[in-house]
Amino acid sequence: MSKGKSFDRRTLLAAGIGLGAGAALARGARAATPPEARIGYFVETKPTMIAKSLGWFADAMKTKTVWHEMGTGAEINTGIAAGGLDFGLAIGSSPVAAGIAEGLGYQLIGMVDNIGPAEEMTVRAAANITKPADFIGKKVGTPFGSTSHFRLMGFLAVNHLSQSQVTVLDMSPEQIVAAWKRGDIDAAYVWSPAKAEILADGGKVYETYKELDADGYVIADLIVVRTAFGRRYPDAVAGFLSAYGKALDLYVTDPDKAAGVVAQAAGVSPAVAKSNLAEYDFVSLKDQLTPEWLGPPGHAGKFAAVLHGTAEFLVQQKSIRSAPPLATFAAAIDTSYLAKVVG
Amino acid sequence: MGDEARPGRRAEKGRLPAARLLPGSSRTWLGAASVLLALAAWQGVVAAGLVPGDLVPPPTAVWRAFVEILRHGYRDTTLGEDIGATLGRALAGFGLGALLGVPLGLWMGMSRRASAAFGWIVQFMRPLPPLSFLVLLILWLGLGEASKIALLTMTAFPIITSASQAAVRGVPELQIAVARSLGATPRQVFGHVVLPASLPMIFTGLNIALAATFSTVVAAELLAANDGLGWMVLSASKFLRNDIIMVGIVLLGVLGMALSRFLLLLDRRLVHWRGRA
Amino acid sequence: MKTELLWPFTVATAALLFAAWTAASALNLVNPLFLPGPGLLFSSFLDLLLNGYKGYSLPAHIGISLMRVLLGFGSGAIVGTLIGLGMGAAPLFDALAAPFVEFLRPLPQLAYLVLLIVWFGIGETSKIVLLFLTALPVAAIAARDGVRNVPLQRIQAARALGASPAQIFRHVIFPSALPEIFIGARLAVGIVYATLIAAEIIAGSNGIGWLVFDAGRFLRSDYVFVGVLLIGLMGLGLDFALRTIERKVVHWAGK
Repeated sequence: MSKGKSFDRRTLLAAGIGLGAGAALARGARAATPPEARIGYFVETKPTMIAKSLGWFADAMKTKTVWHEMGTGAEINTGIAAGGLDFGLAIGSSPVAAGIAEGLGYQLIGMVDNIGPAEEMTVRAAANITKPADFIGKKVGTPFGSTSHFRLMGFLAVNHLSQSQVTVLDMSPEQIVAAWKRGDIDAAYVWSPAKAEILADGGKVYETYKELDADGYVIADLIVVRTAFGRRYPDAVAGFLSAYGKALDLYVTDPDKAAGVVAQAAGVSPAVAKSNLAEYDFVSLKDQLTPEWLGPPGHAGKFAAVLHGTAEFLVQQKSIRSAPPLATFAAAIDTSYLAKVVG
Repeated sequence: MGDEARPGRRAEKGRLPAARLLPGSSRTWLGAASVLLALAAWQGVVAAGLVPGDLVPPPTAVWRAFVEILRHGYRDTTLGEDIGATLGRALAGFGLGALLGVPLGLWMGMSRRASAAFGWIVQFMRPLPPLSFLVLLILWLGLGEASKIALLTMTAFPIITSASQAAVRGVPELQIAVARSLGATPRQVFGHVVLPASLPMIFTGLNIALAATFSTVVAAELLAANDGLGWMVLSASKFLRNDIIMVGIVLLGVLGMALSRFLLLLDRRLVHWRGRA
Repeated sequence: MKTELLWPFTVATAALLFAAWTAASALNLVNPLFLPGPGLLFSSFLDLLLNGYKGYSLPAHIGISLMRVLLGFGSGAIVGTLIGLGMGAAPLFDALAAPFVEFLRPLPQLAYLVLLIVWFGIGETSKIVLLFLTALPVAAIAARDGVRNVPLQRIQAARALGASPAQIFRHVIFPSALPEIFIGARLAVGIVYATLIAAEIIAGSNGIGWLVFDAGRFLRSDYVFVGVLLIGLMGLGLDFALRTIERKVVHWAGK
């Protein structure tokens, strides 16, 4: 046992400890859990409410969740821009397009649903509106800044109608219901429960979504995460998505039970929850990774073009100042977290 | 307030004899009777079916909703929490506005230079409706209390500053001149002449500012809030709970009146020589 | 007392703020989303002026807001002043009306706007009613105080000269109360104006207040700033107009 040998052994031991510690540190940094996750959400009849009320988000992310109830997607944008939110849950595609265009610093990581017919034009049956030109001189209510508003503006554009011919009124969903009952409006572009209520009160559907979707006015509810948060806590983000996936699975396998949970969380009857849920196309996590939607990691799917088109339309509407090129939107879509969950 | 201060006016008024007002107790009884009559009429109109009860909740429905909220709270908040949140925000904004506004106003009143330098900023802030830049405040200060209290401070501050400035300007030159001629230092002139003489109008400004601040607190709870009476009213409207809306309105009204009365009481206690020359 | 040139101080603070603002945006110290630079604001203002905003021209938005303010304030101030005069002159009426006026005065307008919308819809009616109810208690209290503060000597003098109660009211009480009525009016305009903006945000599709809020939805801070500046200028204009009217009508004030 000469001094040289013990020195070697000590060095080896030190090196071993150092490597081990380094490896542990690196693993720890990668698996870092955030002190808390601040989530902007809506009280609505969607599977998101299942994961929220059953605490699945908190469990999957292994951290405390702070819930901020929002009124509109625009509020989520403001919240993230102000540094007050980490996640935006079920934020509409038009606010997301605006947010990416304005460089608000978030990534699109998943979808909640493809809206399709869930948001649609409802007209007064008695008003006898059968073609676009019949809307001239009529009053249509819609919540400005929403995906419904986006579709309505798309409808006007596609049919070459101007806002001086068709009066578009900015109303929240409950104001639409009240105005409808008073006879103040002839039509409305909105989602349920408001849509269901006015349909039941002398309204009928005027279908626009097929034509508008074909023309590129696709609307969806999305999940976004603050870029800096995502980079630092990728496992938590994956956890968030897996929690949502679990809720979606529950809805697919046991819709009645799911409707019950949603009903309680949203403060509506299970029957209303069930019928509302049925209107949406909840794209499965697996399908979201296909080129049809968000695409696999690194290869943004068709939805990038949808966002780009949405942004350009918003520029025309003067809602945002300018729209960056398609590449920016493609870069803003990050399905690496989703891929981890789907496996 | 601005320049409508008329220095001599308060001194010249002799209040009309007390006979112009009914004696205190009769006044209270008559007032209460008047309110009860209105409530009865309200209940009657709804009961008779002249107005739909879900559109205009009768007093009984409002009372029921009040009890319900008292017992079970509203959407994860207790009534106490909502009242506390609203009151806290209003008082914080008002307090901050007063803390900043009174010294600045006094300074601007004493120094023509300060008035020239900062007067235009205050004057421009006054007509600015607070709600118009709530979004900007949230952007700068976040979703929490800071943006709300900043909004309320911006409501109170210009009113209090203007009033304090006008109060100082309104101090009769004669009093200042007399004090100076008696050998008082500028600090003594300020402390013993200007400040006491300014207090009445400062308090008027505080009263107006408190009312304005309280009115604005509901607006401050419009975005990014999850408690407070204003939030409760706005949230109830989303779910078409008109009875809860009415509970919120009544509570806000009572709270507003209480604050107003309280400030009036302070005014009478601390500024008791009001009205005398 | 030497007269001192004061405008340099105003210019100094104004110039300082403007310079800081321009520098901050030119040097990109602040995100234009949070604080647009002066150049951007000016071009956005021109944009609004030339192209309007979502279906209405800029003057149209401003005009609609002004119309609402004038209708609501005008009706509320007139009715309120009449009620206040009555309260000041008749103690019985004062006792009966006081609880309602005093309850309405500090009541946050936005809170009962929600109810008004339920009752009257989101058209012009609910907004004008709201502004009417906002102006009413302010004008009433001011008029009441104006009547109460009429110097006793004047009333006694008139009585001594043999004037009837009606004459006393028309020729002594009412004119003496006018300065305070106008103070109330100016206060009411300010509050009504602030309420108008709130009303347009909650229940509107046009108007300068609505424009600011709608622009804020997607964080078009440039439009928000332009709108806020315009709102401020309009407010100053309204106050100035009232002061001019007051000067013409109440020319003996201060004597």
